[in-house]
Amino acid sequence: MNYFTQSFADAFQLILALDEELYFVVWTSLKISVLSVTIAATLSIPLGLLIASSKFPGKSVLQSILNTLMALPTVVVGLLMFGLLSRQGPLGGWGLLYTQTAIVIGQSLLIMPIVLNMVISAANTADPRIRSTSIALGASRFQQNMIFINEVRFAMLAAIVASFGRAIGEVGIAMMLGGNIEGYTRTMTTAIALETSKGEFEFALALGILLLLVAFIVNVFLEKFQKLNK
Amino acid sequence: MKTSAYELNQLRFGYHDTDIVNIDHYSINDGEILALVGPNGSGKSTLLNLLSFITTPASGEIRYFGEAVRQNMQTEFRRRVGYLQQHPYLFNTTVIENIELGMKLRGINRQLRHGRAQAMIEQLNLGKLASKRAHELSGGEIQKVALARILVLEPVVLIMDEPFTYLDKTFTGEFEKLLLSIREHRTQTIIFSSHDHLRAQLVADRVCSIHHGKLMDEAHVNLFHGKYSKEQGMFNTGNIDIRLSEVDDVEIIAIEPTQIVLSITELDSSMRNRFRGEIVSLHARNDHIEVTVQSGEKFQVIITRAALEELGVTIGSPVWISFKSSAVRVLRQF
Repeated sequence: MNYFTQSFADAFQLILALDEELYFVVWTSLKISVLSVTIAATLSIPLGLLIASSKFPGKSVLQSILNTLMALPTVVVGLLMFGLLSRQGPLGGWGLLYTQTAIVIGQSLLIMPIVLNMVISAANTADPRIRSTSIALGASRFQQNMIFINEVRFAMLAAIVASFGRAIGEVGIAMMLGGNIEGYTRTMTTAIALETSKGEFEFALALGILLLLVAFIVNVFLEKFQKLNK
Repeated sequence: MKTSAYELNQLRFGYHDTDIVNIDHYSINDGEILALVGPNGSGKSTLLNLLSFITTPASGEIRYFGEAVRQNMQTEFRRRVGYLQQHPYLFNTTVIENIELGMKLRGINRQLRHGRAQAMIEQLNLGKLASKRAHELSGGEIQKVALARILVLEPVVLIMDEPFTYLDKTFTGEFEKLLLSIREHRTQTIIFSSHDHLRAQLVADRVCSIHHGKLMDEAHVNLFHGKYSKEQGMFNTGNIDIRLSEVDDVEIIAIEPTQIVLSITELDSSMRNRFRGEIVSLHARNDHIEVTVQSGEKFQVIITRAALEELGVTIGSPVWISFKSSAVRVLRQF
């Protein structure tokens, strides 16, 4: 018990002492996750709206696949991307394996189904009058979509927050595609795994606390935003 | 010759091989108030969607102020029409932002659109609501704001789907006043749908019925213009006096043809309007007979075939018509 409480005390000391190594890992994690979410959202929001508003054969199959992909294990994405990006893989020539870019690509692929699904379901359940009213008011196709996104902004934001949570908390992709290189591709989750196995429990614990704190801040921000817009 | 706001030629629209709208030729004049009447599911809303360029016809042509409407120009044409939907939707922003939205979409600068929105808010007495968010409003307020959002665009054509059915009762009076002022100044062409023929003809210049997607102009029935004397409680059409329930002022009245009782002798009843006349025409319509009686004014009475046979009357027969003062419908005036 003493060991446990002592570790907590040390962890807080590290956090309060603004330990450079610790915060560099946090910064790397945040950067990678924000980038992944930005890329995934930029691609998935328009794509989701397009899927929701069009009729094509195989649409329901696609939606079932997207639903399944929401539960995609991170190691599977890591494995597939590893196969593609490794020296002998088809994209090996790009030399991306064990870079931050590789993690961003992997995480974007991981969270795209989440954003797509949430956008499609928001579009399907939204009041149909949103679109008919904007059409009647003379909105162009682009303006209709902007009005729609603005109307379902809470659902969009929830999708973004959910996917951010998934990105910042995942370990499989960061480990397999980033390689946990110190000062470069080491993220909060890979660092926790490593430091724990090294016996540096307090460092891992400090990162764990900061990880929770990030998740907490993001959720508080979402709640504030919703209140402001009510 | 009058200019046409709309010219419809060979216009067709349908779902699954069933024509919802099927019009060979029809034109709507610039500046007129046209009411589209018909039962639910008769194609009224579909036609209004076509006229407001929200849906594209399956075939045929719409000419809008002489210009043929091309599919790739739908948005541009749509911006010249104001369309008030049956159950209007307000976006989840403030009232004033809702009112400004249409102008924003048209690229009108912030200062100008704010000024116009403010003027409209004052005109419709929405001052207290301006900074409220849409979800804080009552049903009637939503309708008012939705109307303001359309009117502020100053559309040359105003299209409304069932405005009287779904308008909040407290707003109906104000709304009629607004329509009358538009009618007086002839600033806009107004097209609205209604399933209430009588109500429609009180406001409209022309009533057109839609059945199985086809349009047919309907004559105004039992619609009288005249002067009301409050002291006597009488409405003078110039030819006869009709007794009304208490109202403040009225210039146009209408009487439901099914509310008029036809008899051979004068009825001794509580019906205070009784006129002697003569049958001038008989028309079979579905299961009913339309009887036109000349008694100073022409009245249309709808009775069943059996009732007509029982009365044993024909064209030229002298008859009495009677109706209650409460059967007289008035367009509220201010």
